[in-house]
Amino acid sequence: MSQLIISVGREFGSGGRVIAEELAKRFQIPIYDRHLITEIAQQTGMSAEEIEKYNEAPKSRIISRRVRGYSNSIEDNIAEMQFKFIYDHAKAGESFVVVGRCSETKLREFDGLVSLFILGDMDAKIKRVMEVYEMDEHHAKEFIIQKDKKRKRYHNYHVQLHWGDSRLYDLCINSSRLGIDGTVDMLENYIKARIGK
Amino acid sequence: MSAAPIFAVIIFVAMFLLIVLDKIERHYVTLGCGVLTLVVVFGICMRSGKAIMDTLAIRNFATKEFWYQVTESESKGINWATILFIAGMMVMVEGMAKAGFFRWLCMKIAYLVKCKTVPIFITFMIMSAVLSMFIDSITVIMFLAAVTIELAQLLKFNPVPMILSEIFCANLGGSATMCGDPPNIIVGTSLGFSFFDFLNNTGVVAGICLVISVFFFYFVFRKELVTEGSGEVDMSKFPKPSEAITNKKDFIVSSIIFGMAVILLITHATTHLTVASIGLFIAAVTLIAAGKDALELLKKVDYKTLVFFIGLFIVVGGLEETGILKYIADFIGDISGGDPMLMIAIILWISAIASAFVDNIPFAATMVPIIQSLSSTAGVDIRTLAWALSIGTDIGGSATPIGASANVVGTSVAAKNGHPIGWGKYCAKLAPATVIVLAVSTVYIFVRYL
Repeated sequence: MSQLIISVGREFGSGGRVIAEELAKRFQIPIYDRHLITEIAQQTGMSAEEIEKYNEAPKSRIISRRVRGYSNSIEDNIAEMQFKFIYDHAKAGESFVVVGRCSETKLREFDGLVSLFILGDMDAKIKRVMEVYEMDEHHAKEFIIQKDKKRKRYHNYHVQLHWGDSRLYDLCINSSRLGIDGTVDMLENYIKARIGK
Repeated sequence: MSAAPIFAVIIFVAMFLLIVLDKIERHYVTLGCGVLTLVVVFGICMRSGKAIMDTLAIRNFATKEFWYQVTESESKGINWATILFIAGMMVMVEGMAKAGFFRWLCMKIAYLVKCKTVPIFITFMIMSAVLSMFIDSITVIMFLAAVTIELAQLLKFNPVPMILSEIFCANLGGSATMCGDPPNIIVGTSLGFSFFDFLNNTGVVAGICLVISVFFFYFVFRKELVTEGSGEVDMSKFPKPSEAITNKKDFIVSSIIFGMAVILLITHATTHLTVASIGLFIAAVTLIAAGKDALELLKKVDYKTLVFFIGLFIVVGGLEETGILKYIADFIGDISGGDPMLMIAIILWISAIASAFVDNIPFAATMVPIIQSLSSTAGVDIRTLAWALSIGTDIGGSATPIGASANVVGTSVAAKNGHPIGWGKYCAKLAPATVIVLAVSTVYIFVRYL
């Protein structure tokens, strides 16, 4: 396998992003997450804050309309630009890690794709979010539910199968079982096995 | 009330909701609802094979009037003339786009005005309106917006005011002719109007409103049209218009076919050729001229829109056959107390408000039988009601980013190039312009026809 694309879907608070960053380091390939915002900002002249507002956000169906593939929704347009970005890079033969952005489906045609979904126990996710975002338990739980709801709506609007559905991914793993480091080790072995195949 | 009208209304409301929710593609929605109308409303509830046959209107193809029409005649059920005409124009437009016609035209005009921002702003508005009189506004805006962005990058001006003005003028230009906007094709073919009927009526008011719009948009956008830098334009840096032409032979052929389409449309009241004949002829000529590329052109035709129309006409046929639309017409007649002025105002403004938020095609298709019924019961000239309906549905759609297809395409092209246009930015300028044009149109109809 000459090209390696690691797609990391994740529940909020599961440590998916940190796992993706660690995998990028271990395989020495770039990671596209925050980069997808700055890159689009550079391309379009929009500010990163402006793009952040619409990043991985579902559109409101009532106030948006789609005509022959064109949409008035800014969320849709930002999403499509990001899909195009990762697709073009994959098509150019580049290896990278990409976080979210329906990449497990959008890049499905590439043989080098390894698609992962990181989930976690609610208790562990709350604990993590409380630490990272300095929130109390109640707010952390609300925040997780709200974020995951948003990701789910975004994903399920843009692709057919459902976010977190195991049939979409090569591997779904609960990061609460082995911890972040243990999960990364396990995933590294799995990916090496895939590369060696 | 029997079961048939109840089911017809349920299917119609469900269709509208599903179109608005955009969960399922809209052509599946209308086709599914159309099949339900045929099976449940006509088959199970009414047990009427005649209603099914009338709505499917297949036998229309075998009638001489469908192809060659000497006297005005009204059609019911699936409006095959509309579908055939739109399909024909789609094939022609694909041929023109492939040859680089639209990009060439935009670049040529920019060159003729020496790439100066304000003259580009004004000429592009006029070009948008004029092209939309003959070609669907989606195609017009797709090319105009793309060239506007390209010019904005070269000349360093903000393309948003220009794109917004082009969108508005495309919708306005579409209202001027029978083939400019789908609601007009539906109104025209359903009621047997000609190209000139529209041009002499909605065309006149569209022309007046275009002048007002050019002044209005110049006034509201004048501060945003400032070019960064010295204002001196180095023409050598711009791509030449001729570079837009992908194939000279195809370009000439597609320009001739477009010219033929315009002549056939303008003269169809004299030649008695229906829009169905014109659509079929134009498509056939384009495909023959395309030769081996014909299949490629056919593949690019937007079949989803054609299927959307077929399903839509069946669902509206359900409302018509079960008497629901007559009931609505009677209701409008009652609340207006038979006053033609009030009746026209209701039709124009309700059509405009509805079209600002929902697709104006199903709305127009639903309203045509209503104004027919209203005209026969209240004694108001059907033509006057038809112009009110056309203006309301065509212009009302400009008020919001989702009101018309051109708005969606224009704002999408802008967003993809780093100029997102939200509801606030859009409505701040285009909603007042829509209200002004609708007010002028209302006064025009009152003065000219009452």
